[in-house]
Amino acid sequence: MEAFPMKFSCLVLAVAALDLSVPVRAQEPAGGAEFFEKKIRPVLATRCYACHAEKLKSPMGGLVLDTREGTRRAVEGKLLSAIRYNNPTLQMPPGGKLADSVVGDFERWVADGAPDPRAAAAATSKPAGVDFAKGRAWWAFQPVKEFPALRAGGSSWVRRRIDGFILAELEKNNLSASAEADRRTFIRRATIDLTGVAPSFADVEMFVADAEPDAFERLIERLLGSARYGERWGRYWLDVARWGEDNPTGEATNPGYAFAWRYRDWVIEAVNKDVPYDRFVKMQLAADQLPGFQRDDLRALGYLGAAPTYHKDLRLSRDVIETLASDDWDERVDAVSRGLLGLTVACARCHDHKFDPISNKDYYGLAGVFASSMPVRRPLSEVDAETEKKVAFGQVRGFFLQYLAKLMKGEPGTVREPGKKQAYFEAEVAKLKEATPEVKGDYTHAVIDAGLWVDGSDPDLTNLDFRMGQARDLPVFQRGNPASPGDIVPRRFITVLEPGEPTAFAAGSSGRLELAEKIFGARAAPLAGRVIVNRVWGWHFGKPLVGTTSDFGTQGDLPTHRELLDDLTARFIAHGWSLKWLHREIMLSAAYRQASRPRQDGQQQDPTNRLLWRMNPRRVDFEAWRDTILSTSRQLDAAAGGPSMELEKKGNFRRTVYAKVSRSRLSPLLKLYDFPDPNQHAPNRELTTTPLQQLFVMNSEFVQQRARVIADQAVEASGDVKERIQHLYRTILGREAEAREIDLALSYLDKADWAGYAQALLGSSEFIFWP
Amino acid sequence: MMNRRAFVQSLCAGLGSVGLQDMLRGETAPAVHSGPHFAPRAKHLIVLFMTGGPSQMDLFDPKPALLKYAGQRPSSVDLRTERVTGGLLPSSFQFKRCGRNGVEVSELLPRLGEVIDDICVLRSVHTFNPTHTPARSLIHSGNISAVRPSMGAWLSYGLGTENANLPGFVVFSGGAGGTLWRSGFLPAEHQGTQISRVESSPEKMIQYLRNTDLDSEAQRRQLDLMQALNRRHADGFGGDEFLEGRIRAMETAFRMQFAASDAFDLKNEPARVREEYGTTDFANQCLLARRCVERGVRSVFVYYGAGQPWDDHTFISKNLRARCPDMDQASAALITDLKRRGLLDETLIVWGGEFGRTPVSESGDGRDHNPYGFTMWMAGGGVQGGIAYGATDEFGFKAVENRVSVHDLHATILNQLGLNHEKLTYRYAGRDFRLTDVAGEVVKGILS
Repeated sequence: MEAFPMKFSCLVLAVAALDLSVPVRAQEPAGGAEFFEKKIRPVLATRCYACHAEKLKSPMGGLVLDTREGTRRAVEGKLLSAIRYNNPTLQMPPGGKLADSVVGDFERWVADGAPDPRAAAAATSKPAGVDFAKGRAWWAFQPVKEFPALRAGGSSWVRRRIDGFILAELEKNNLSASAEADRRTFIRRATIDLTGVAPSFADVEMFVADAEPDAFERLIERLLGSARYGERWGRYWLDVARWGEDNPTGEATNPGYAFAWRYRDWVIEAVNKDVPYDRFVKMQLAADQLPGFQRDDLRALGYLGAAPTYHKDLRLSRDVIETLASDDWDERVDAVSRGLLGLTVACARCHDHKFDPISNKDYYGLAGVFASSMPVRRPLSEVDAETEKKVAFGQVRGFFLQYLAKLMKGEPGTVREPGKKQAYFEAEVAKLKEATPEVKGDYTHAVIDAGLWVDGSDPDLTNLDFRMGQARDLPVFQRGNPASPGDIVPRRFITVLEPGEPTAFAAGSSGRLELAEKIFGARAAPLAGRVIVNRVWGWHFGKPLVGTTSDFGTQGDLPTHRELLDDLTARFIAHGWSLKWLHREIMLSAAYRQASRPRQDGQQQDPTNRLLWRMNPRRVDFEAWRDTILSTSRQLDAAAGGPSMELEKKGNFRRTVYAKVSRSRLSPLLKLYDFPDPNQHAPNRELTTTPLQQLFVMNSEFVQQRARVIADQAVEASGDVKERIQHLYRTILGREAEAREIDLALSYLDKADWAGYAQALLGSSEFIFWP
Repeated sequence: MMNRRAFVQSLCAGLGSVGLQDMLRGETAPAVHSGPHFAPRAKHLIVLFMTGGPSQMDLFDPKPALLKYAGQRPSSVDLRTERVTGGLLPSSFQFKRCGRNGVEVSELLPRLGEVIDDICVLRSVHTFNPTHTPARSLIHSGNISAVRPSMGAWLSYGLGTENANLPGFVVFSGGAGGTLWRSGFLPAEHQGTQISRVESSPEKMIQYLRNTDLDSEAQRRQLDLMQALNRRHADGFGGDEFLEGRIRAMETAFRMQFAASDAFDLKNEPARVREEYGTTDFANQCLLARRCVERGVRSVFVYYGAGQPWDDHTFISKNLRARCPDMDQASAALITDLKRRGLLDETLIVWGGEFGRTPVSESGDGRDHNPYGFTMWMAGGGVQGGIAYGATDEFGFKAVENRVSVHDLHATILNQLGLNHEKLTYRYAGRDFRLTDVAGEVVKGILS
């Protein structure tokens, strides 16, 4: 296909394509409506309507191509000759000749009588649109309710309500649950699960020997009370929140986020404090507008304020800059809709969603909220609202003015009066400095209510016009293209999650708070609840109930246990959105306590274990693996919080969650071990097992050094060879060595040293396995 | 090895003979892939990337009109680029007709001129973003945002690897730009393995490649112990995909140490071949690229220099004179060398940058970024040699004839490697994604 002139964004392609992407048979008759829809209409729409549409005040040459009548006239006239570029005075489209194959399609279509299935009236008349009433019937949009407890008391296996649902499905399929995992396996499973570090040998022994009836309950409570818990579960959230400390590219207008670690620390603290999930999310969207706001809460706004942002070279045209700005807003729409609601709203940027009840207008209603929220560093110290506004405006406006002044300085040649412009910008900077109060103390990356308009009135430079306290309702960018704005859509929530027509957000503010309230309002809360409950379930079990954790729409998976998900969600909400409650409910269930060994009947009937006839055996993720290695060598630095450190820096013994996360130069080690791309919301991690990872295990200084330290400790602990071997087994694998394993060790140590042996245990599958 | 056999036997007592044999033989990791969809013309891809955007008017797309209208600014060149530009700037270089069809090539590139009959010059490539980073992302992944998988990752995902002992997607780049060879939403195993500097020894080039503590015999012994423990553990657990996969990956990693050492060691090349390529970094990278494809690596991306060397906003003629000789020599040597070894037919070479440059001047003696029309070239892999395809306008600003979009380019590359670009999809965030987004047509006019 021919590509498009510069002024169209790549998104324009997206539209044309949605129609074109359906495979077309090589010699499909051009007579049918299908041929027109696939081959002709998309070309007309993307290449011709901009100048030849009925809605235009004066269509070029008086010709319109979005109606059947107008198109017929063109066909009878010079359409073919124009697109063939035969006539030097009439060549269409003017941006460049269509691909020969496209011209060929038109020729075939005309030869077959140019059938045009469009209604006789204007083709721009209202399309069918999204059927919201029908859309609201989808399972994920229904309220959640508790179900009568199944099989309570009817089976000795059932420990929690969860188990009744699991057992019922298993029995329906003639399967049984697995026996309980042994206590060693369980404490390792639970400790890594909640803290991200394997338990010490002493902890294991204590738990194995604990004869009290509430041993499991006390174990889970102890782990939930550990500060390590927030570091583990905060990291899960950081995947969802696509947290990073800089931008996909680091150029003049999108420098790194020096204080992004403050958001990371806030997340960890909030998770440790079990801040109710609804409040946890609301704070990340609108901490500054919530009741009970304290300055320190501003850190939560890093979710929006340190989001991935693209460079805007202001020498480019207004259309290009507005496209880049709308890419930023799109990223927020995507992160919020997939991350918090499990909906792919970003699919509706160019057109109504093809599968889900989300309209093009819904998209722009939501995008407007982000077009009205200006990323800015905000002071953590107490400051009055007026001063804060001035500081924010001064900072952002000053940044762009200085950038422009600098551009003019280096701009020789034919810039219209660059010297004069530079002087003007510099004077503006000075004036702004004068008008901006100075606030000392710490800052954090946040947002503040201010709308962004892109101003193209200067032919040489495009200007970003931030208006403090003003919200911007966006027009629909038709086919995603800011150069062809359509109707203005007031900022609002998405229709399908409203009882009827959505109401517009208030004019005075961005609508962040209203959006946050809507997500947890009566209509959307069940969905928001299901989405987080499903994620938490997946992090505990290794497999979520809904396989597509960020797509609860019609293209996503259906839940394996819908009643279970609904019941658990309803009770989660009733228990004040408490994640710690949810952990207890799940981890104390018989389902979670099952062994994970394969069973023949299960393997045959349900090889992917969707019915949960056993616990899913897994490998630990990179963070837990590295942190456990450090803990094993007694080198793990327990200090919490603060600025990040390069992961691969020598002597970095901090928990992996405190390593620097760069969006442009992600640590090669993190990449090697499946760390998700922080440039976009990550629904889950796909853990791979590659040879390059094993090279790290075998040859990296990190593993070798830890092995040496552990080996030295073993040698120091005892003069007896067998006792040293036991020491290493206890330290590294949390258990005693068996007789056969001691034989293997002796046979190896015959010709090798202790460090090499310790490394073999650290590198063993048992160490990284998480059964 | 007698010792090893006895040692392994002692480790494997009680494991059964299968375990023993596996350990002595080593296994190859199964490749996971979906293609090819049809008989491929090429098995390998080498991209020679001229970061910064090389000037088409000075290298492959002669424009005599620039001289005629030098310094003037006709309205047709009023296209907005990144910076503000002046009048038309003629090229300082002569062009020569080369090869059987007389394709015109700049005097700066005599060696490429000599092998032009193996080269298909694409003069009508165009994109839509004039800023480096998004434009590079576009050429690599079909999208300006730094989130979609790179071409090499798509090929690895679609075709797997021919040599499990080497990475399937190798990148020679001294620069940052790690996001350019990202796997995006594809599994991490498909990301490019970056070799940032050509060094005297491969161990310095690939992180963690060699064990500095143990010699290979001692390391093998350690691995045998580890694998015996792993085997025992896996059998004790009762069969698990991860545990089995990890045992295989360990063996592959062990062999990779030696396979990679061999592949990336230039000392193994005869002096005569080294001379043919030259001795610069780029020459070494090109030579290593050949050694990679020879050993079954699917795609190799070579980046000329660190940073954006071809970004000639000033002093363009002087800069090109300095930069072209080694690029010319090594690129031409790569073609000749592959051809001599019978590998050119099964290797597609693609040369180019993220965009071209403007026919109008910047700062008097430089050229600005130009995504509207620029030159790339291909060689080998079932593409016709000795032709120039497509054309830009009379000044070389905008592609006007047989235009080739970035999606067309990608569709063509995939096609040569046996993949239908519409069928190579990956489901993510609610829809099936493609390298070619929702566009792209194979440029049939250049296929042999």
